[in-house]
Amino acid sequence: MKLKRGQLLVDPPGSASSDIAFILIIFFLVCASVQPEEGHDQRLPRAEPQEDQRQQTKNLEVSITANSIVLNGSPLDESTFPAQLTKELAERRTEADRVVVLKSASNTPYTRWIDVSRMIDKAGGLLTLEVTEEKNIRVR
Amino acid sequence: MIIPRRKIQATVPTFAMGDIGFLLLIFFVILARVQNDSHIQWTPAQIDEVEPAAAALAGVAIDSGRKVYLDGREISPDSLAGQLESILGDAPEGSRRVHLKIDKDTPAAVFEPVIEAISEAGGEITHILETKDSER
Repeated sequence: MKLKRGQLLVDPPGSASSDIAFILIIFFLVCASVQPEEGHDQRLPRAEPQEDQRQQTKNLEVSITANSIVLNGSPLDESTFPAQLTKELAERRTEADRVVVLKSASNTPYTRWIDVSRMIDKAGGLLTLEVTEEKNIRVR
Repeated sequence: MIIPRRKIQATVPTFAMGDIGFLLLIFFVILARVQNDSHIQWTPAQIDEVEPAAAALAGVAIDSGRKVYLDGREISPDSLAGQLESILGDAPEGSRRVHLKIDKDTPAAVFEPVIEAISEAGGEITHILETKDSER
């Protein structure tokens, strides 16, 4: 004859579950707050109010708007721009000659700007910004 | 006959002191680590590849409402260069890093003067971006 073993129901102690939940919340908070940031380093020459006008004329000049790129006055396609820029920079040996002046239309979005500035970096150019100052003058 | 009043010993239960100390420790760790610009509403621009950003001395941000912040405090773009210069102080080249967070739709008229101000203060810019396949 087989005797059935009495089955015991064991309840886990529930008094500590709130403490465990609290510790878990803190753990996930810490994980979220220490998430490392990622990005892209950019080397820009220190801004100076007046630059050598003679040198500026030698530099490559890139003008961008929300949907166009112009390299030294010639409009380019976004796909041909990196190759053309690399070709232009290949002839320039010194660091001063590799400066690329980036002019952006006032409504150029940051996404577009960062894409073009990375293209310049990758082509080996030294990015410099040309920022036009806007001043309001009241005329009576 | 005088019946002496029974003296009750009042003791502070020290049983949970270890747990309380541990929770306090975690609380201060979180306070120290939580970034102070977490309230800024911005969407990072996306690029093909990003590198891990090194620790920075200061953080500049432009939110979706085109407001400029320095270390989480709203600031006028005109005073940015001066304040940043005082934060960066005499830090040597290579450790004058500034994290720059710009909302992806910000126009050049807003972000270029900010980049110029950081450059003027001698800051080394790290644009905080994300990879094209990741989601925030």
